[in-house]
Amino acid sequence: MKKLVLALAALLVTAAVFAQGITLAQNKPEIDAALKAYAAVWSKANNVPVTVKSVGGGTGMDLDSQLKADLAAGDMPDIFAINGLENYKEWADLVLDLSGERWVKNTSVAFKYEGKVYGYPVAVEGWGMAYNADILKKAGVDPKTLVNYSGYKAAFQKIDAQKAVLGLKSVVSMAASLDMGWVTAHHNFNSLLSNGLPYGDLSVVNALLAGKVDARRLSEYADWVELLFKYADKAVLTTGNYDAQVGAFASGQAAFLHQGNWTDPNFAQAKVTFPMAFAPHGSMARATDGIFVAAPSFYCVNKNSRNLAAAKKFLNDLVFTEAGNKYMVLDAGSIPAFSNVKLNPTGQLSRSVQAWAAAGKIYSWNQYYFTEDFRNKTLAPIYNQFAAGAVTKAQFIDLMTKAFQGLAK
Amino acid sequence: MRKTKHPPVFWLFLAPVILAFALVIVIPFLLGVYYSFTNWSATARLGDSLKAVGLRNFAGILKDPSFTYSFILTVVYTVLNMIVINVVSFSLAMLVTRKLKGRNVYRAGFFVPNLIGGLILGYVWQFIFNNAVPSIGTMIGFASWADAGNLLLAKSTTATIAMVLVGTWQYAGYIMVIYVAAIETIPQELIEAAQIDGASPFRRLRAITLPLTRQAFTITIFLTLVNSFKQFDVNVSLTGGGPSAMFLGQPIYGTQLLAMNIYNQGFKSNDMAGGQARAVVFFLVLVIVSIIQVSVNKKREIEL
Repeated sequence: MKKLVLALAALLVTAAVFAQGITLAQNKPEIDAALKAYAAVWSKANNVPVTVKSVGGGTGMDLDSQLKADLAAGDMPDIFAINGLENYKEWADLVLDLSGERWVKNTSVAFKYEGKVYGYPVAVEGWGMAYNADILKKAGVDPKTLVNYSGYKAAFQKIDAQKAVLGLKSVVSMAASLDMGWVTAHHNFNSLLSNGLPYGDLSVVNALLAGKVDARRLSEYADWVELLFKYADKAVLTTGNYDAQVGAFASGQAAFLHQGNWTDPNFAQAKVTFPMAFAPHGSMARATDGIFVAAPSFYCVNKNSRNLAAAKKFLNDLVFTEAGNKYMVLDAGSIPAFSNVKLNPTGQLSRSVQAWAAAGKIYSWNQYYFTEDFRNKTLAPIYNQFAAGAVTKAQFIDLMTKAFQGLAK
Repeated sequence: MRKTKHPPVFWLFLAPVILAFALVIVIPFLLGVYYSFTNWSATARLGDSLKAVGLRNFAGILKDPSFTYSFILTVVYTVLNMIVINVVSFSLAMLVTRKLKGRNVYRAGFFVPNLIGGLILGYVWQFIFNNAVPSIGTMIGFASWADAGNLLLAKSTTATIAMVLVGTWQYAGYIMVIYVAAIETIPQELIEAAQIDGASPFRRLRAITLPLTRQAFTITIFLTLVNSFKQFDVNVSLTGGGPSAMFLGQPIYGTQLLAMNIYNQGFKSNDMAGGQARAVVFFLVLVIVSIIQVSVNKKREIEL
């Protein structure tokens, strides 16, 4: 009995200690270990316990589901991640205005809504078509020609003809299963929304949200999707998961990969040595010389946090302390979103993103202006049907058009 | 009906159970029914307070083809699963109640898959269907096994069959244990008498074993029915609801069972109240089906 009482008392004490700490909930499992290590060091230095919860990636649970459970349990994290406008709207009632924070001046990609800063940009990320420079060289394809549909078509045909010599299984490593809907209905979809437009231009987004479809833009985009699907390995395309898709490229079985710079840690793990970089998407007939770069997620501070000062300090320390910078760039391998951070990530694709950004050749991420529901439930199955060959390109265009018209109702 | 009056101490002993039951079943259930008539989102939208919306959520169900599809699919899956699991586990039970060498090892072996969590099991089988089967096929000279179109998880119809396979693999051992218990209670003299009368093994199965294990059938059919109907974890990890299928001119998730449809409506589509309304419909259907099943089976049981 005495032991039980002691155990209970110990439990209460720990609970009390934790209650004064801060909790950070974020959606990038790939940086979980690095973040936890940094948080442990930061906790010690500041005497504030930090709990890191990483939810996301793969099937099933995502951060939003976890947050709903946390909110219902009265255990909402002090800092939590959102990915854009539609996601912000779900939590707007809880998000603290961070306009007065010191880091705001040092970044151009913070999450802003109606003139106020609500989200701390976690990193800068980008995607285009990642290519294996060795294979392209051997096949005699100049990456500079990869700026529009006809450039890609010629390159794909050329590489496809030499598949056996180059040891390739397919030209492109693409995934379109419903689980990988984030590749098709989120990332690839963005080509339709922002490719070739000035950064931050929402004209196409707003037209589509109103149910008005630019038939020419959509049909050019459909050509691009068809091209990607046609030259992809069908098994990876229809049933492959993230590992299968990235693995095919990492092992040299595909010349192109439709993913972003977050794959860098996977390549480091697989000890990939071949040179690689990003080329723009070829979703249009005209040349679009740029890749898609933006902050993928933002940390928001919970208005009702009992430890606001610590939560704010945690974010500031990431930007203004050496340890924070080192964690962000070297340990987590992300591209810093802040001008005062001088470190550079080591991953090849991250460097490629930086190079495109430095040249100013970037297009925005507009997919988050559409709800999660629309992208996952309506769009992802359309791409999946097209990938499986169950619908033709004309039907694909028709289904997409109907989906957008359905939005206006 | 006879009314029994229980002494207070009866209720005292029952209190912990009743309390737990009320806390985790009754109260959440009532709250859930309440929420299905509101606009509850479970998130913190600006200026969005909890309001009653009448039957709007239930009307939304009728408009969503994905729910109808999931409903039909779940019925098909349940029927298939119920038949396959019961046939397999009854056969297994017949085998392991024979005088086999090492039958306890078999019993344990068949039961073990039931101890693995459904999520892990789904991922393991996904790997088997997507990677192991094509590799083995290529190795033993059936290169067509590696064709993308031949993968079980590549089409919604075959993916449903894959779910039945995995469901059976997971659950047959558990149901087998119930059958084993029932078969072992059959008096040996009945079987011996039949043997002396010259009854064939098939005749003995039909005239003795099956009638005398009817009670077990009531339980096993109920368990497999309810469990198949509520299938969620294997669904999520094995197929994730994919691949897509065309239904009423709209591409939708082709292997999304009802439980997953409810979960996705609530959590992925940010429509908790809508998901809750679906859950209420789900509950009603399940209750009706179970009551019919149990009452039909009860009539056929034989008391020894």
